[in-house]
Amino acid sequence: MKTAHIQRSGFHPLFWWVWAVLTSSVVLVLDTTNISMAAIAATLMLAAGFRGSTYWRTSFKWILRLALIAFAFRMLIGFLIGVPMPGKVLFTLPQIQLPEFLVGIRLGGPVTEQRLQSTLKEATLLAALILIFALSNSLSNPHSLLKVLPRRFYSIGLAGVIATSVAPQAVRSISRVRTAKRLRGQPGNGLGSWRRVAIPVLEDSLERSIDLAASLESRGYGYFPKTTRYRAQRWQITDTLGVSGPAYVLIAALMLNPTAALLLGVLFFLLILTPVVAR
Amino acid sequence: MINFSKVSLIYPNSQRTIIEDVSFEVNEGEFVLLMGHTGAGKSSVLRLINGLVPHHTGGILSGSISVAGRSTSTLKPGELADVVGIVGQNPANTFVSDIVEDEIAFSLETLGIAPDVMRKRVEEVLDLLALTPLRRKNISELSGGEQQRVAIAAALVANPKLLLLDEPTSALDPIAAEEVLSILHRLVHDLGLTVILSEHRLERVIQFVDRIILIHGDGSLELGTAEEVMRSSPIAPPLVELARALNMPTIPLSVREFRKLAPRIEIGENVGSSGHNSLGEVLLSINELSAAYEDSQRAYALSKVNLEICAGEIVALMGRNGAGKTTLLKCAVGLAPVIEGQVRVSGKNPAHLEGPDLIKNVGYVPQEPTDLLYGQSILEECALADRDNNVAEGSTLEIYKSLMQMPDLSSHPRDVSEGQRLGLALSIILSAQPPLIVLDEPTRGLDYQAKKTLVQTLKQVAAQQRRAVLISTHDVELVAEVADRVLFLADGELIADGTTAEVLNASPAFAPQVAKALPHTNWITVEEAERYFNAKN
Repeated sequence: MKTAHIQRSGFHPLFWWVWAVLTSSVVLVLDTTNISMAAIAATLMLAAGFRGSTYWRTSFKWILRLALIAFAFRMLIGFLIGVPMPGKVLFTLPQIQLPEFLVGIRLGGPVTEQRLQSTLKEATLLAALILIFALSNSLSNPHSLLKVLPRRFYSIGLAGVIATSVAPQAVRSISRVRTAKRLRGQPGNGLGSWRRVAIPVLEDSLERSIDLAASLESRGYGYFPKTTRYRAQRWQITDTLGVSGPAYVLIAALMLNPTAALLLGVLFFLLILTPVVAR
Repeated sequence: MINFSKVSLIYPNSQRTIIEDVSFEVNEGEFVLLMGHTGAGKSSVLRLINGLVPHHTGGILSGSISVAGRSTSTLKPGELADVVGIVGQNPANTFVSDIVEDEIAFSLETLGIAPDVMRKRVEEVLDLLALTPLRRKNISELSGGEQQRVAIAAALVANPKLLLLDEPTSALDPIAAEEVLSILHRLVHDLGLTVILSEHRLERVIQFVDRIILIHGDGSLELGTAEEVMRSSPIAPPLVELARALNMPTIPLSVREFRKLAPRIEIGENVGSSGHNSLGEVLLSINELSAAYEDSQRAYALSKVNLEICAGEIVALMGRNGAGKTTLLKCAVGLAPVIEGQVRVSGKNPAHLEGPDLIKNVGYVPQEPTDLLYGQSILEECALADRDNNVAEGSTLEIYKSLMQMPDLSSHPRDVSEGQRLGLALSIILSAQPPLIVLDEPTRGLDYQAKKTLVQTLKQVAAQQRRAVLISTHDVELVAEVADRVLFLADGELIADGTTAEVLNASPAFAPQVAKALPHTNWITVEEAERYFNAKN
């Protein structure tokens, strides 16, 4: 097919999603604290390296906060609730006596080294997964996905686009509504005041999504059997290079003995950064 | 081209029929204006034409509508995409791509146009709408007028026979609006395109259109040539009102026609001028202010601006899109990053004021009044405002009732008309009793009646309650009606500061219709002219 001779800038619209799926698979397969930490570090470095001015990218900052909250919450829950674990006691929290039938479960009590380790592992895994998908969401314009999805699935595509574009749009609305809160003379960030922020933000995001859907509908998106391309959207060598890092580590992780994880971790950290080279 | 036959439309859960048993026809190559009060159903009628109503929004439709020989009841809006192009009220929400060129091409991609044809069409449309220099730009970096042009280009590129536009100039400054309208005018005349647009600012469009559809709001509508409709229409631009006041035999639609028909009137002085308010103490003083756009630290939005606003005065801030108006207003409430210089509101730095201290000193109604609202009904909203503003229960509601003739108190603030939403936001701000009130672009989507209410309220606030009002707007006629003084910003610098008549008449693009129609007088409003003729008779 002959397309306009215009160079595509950046990666294929699906690039960051492929990268995210591969990287998160590595993190899940290897499932160690070190690997999760490496993934977090690499994601943050990529975010710094690809930071730009378009508003899609500002959503990362907010999801970073979300990841921190999720991490802290998971740690707290891990310390407080669960079955008792043996091992060296690090410190003891006040314990609440639970009724007889909840035998084996404790609330508070001693925190052992083993518990700390397992909690840390799960909390970092959670944070790493959130950050990996946050990065792919904030670096790729969800709207551009529309162009690469098969038209046959257009209603699924449309729903997907609306879903993925809600986060960046909500971020934009949040700053507007927070400004408005100040203008109505409401100090503080209490829970009640967040309800006041949340409602207009959700309404706003919904309104935008409906507008977008109407626009797509009236421009004939998904109605015509044959579609063409103005700008080449082919998967290029740079895209392959960019995802080769996590892909290689994933294959290696699936084949190798997990005891080689440390070496693999170092390799993973370096290879996960391949989008920088590919750019 | 378009054929409505016995069409009625009602939305579910609504008591009012938008249109009832309506039949009309629009021919090929016509330029038609759709007008009516806010909330009368202009957008609904536009969206009926390409089938978005009821296919996308829901609603019960009876009768038949056909567009270019195709019936919209069986076809979805997407299936009409090759004959109808539509440009929504808020183009920024409807863009699918990041880059101008890609956005325009998207319409063709979905239609499956061959790449070499597509390339040619994109080039043509870029040229037609003067977008070639912007083709590789990111859409989010464009000004409102440029975005509007991109949206029109994206609709035009598919070569539709019919173009629908929903308030295409409401966010634009007078010069950008003129550009967009003259492009539409050219398309109608050169390409035989049929254009239907809805608009509140009649003074901008009425000279270009062939026919007018007036939606009364009670289910009926009236269709006639622009002159026929203007003869009796309750909504009319200042020029038509002036002609009616002068009892002119034919109603002129452009300044040129008016001047041909009107008697030459030459007076030097204002007759029975309303008299300027005596000014009180300085409420806002801005000293050598430079500030940046909120989202970027690099670009200067304002450089070395000096101004003072006193109690009892209404000051209008004008300038083109992107001149720094909003940034200046935001500085007055301490929202924009100040690089250097001073902003003082009643002697205090607004950036250091928090919560109740801020709203006791300055009230700000943002461009989107909806941002201020989070209640689930107007009643709840007013009660919340009483609490926030620490005033007696019911005082916000009282202000709201005095602003709106028919307040519908149980409605959700997002469901009421634009005018009511603005009224609500304004009541909330006014009930805190700030000495300085700042409004950003308040007339977007307001009809003449709502604007009149706004003008009265602001005048009363300034004259009787001795407060100062700073208002930024593109609406020249509103400025002529309401402002005592006009500030003009260009590229972040304050280039004019003087009385309304002085500043407005200095630039032809920003002159109100009355001043253009009667260039030998000092009048800028119909009221001034009426007062003169009444005194003479």
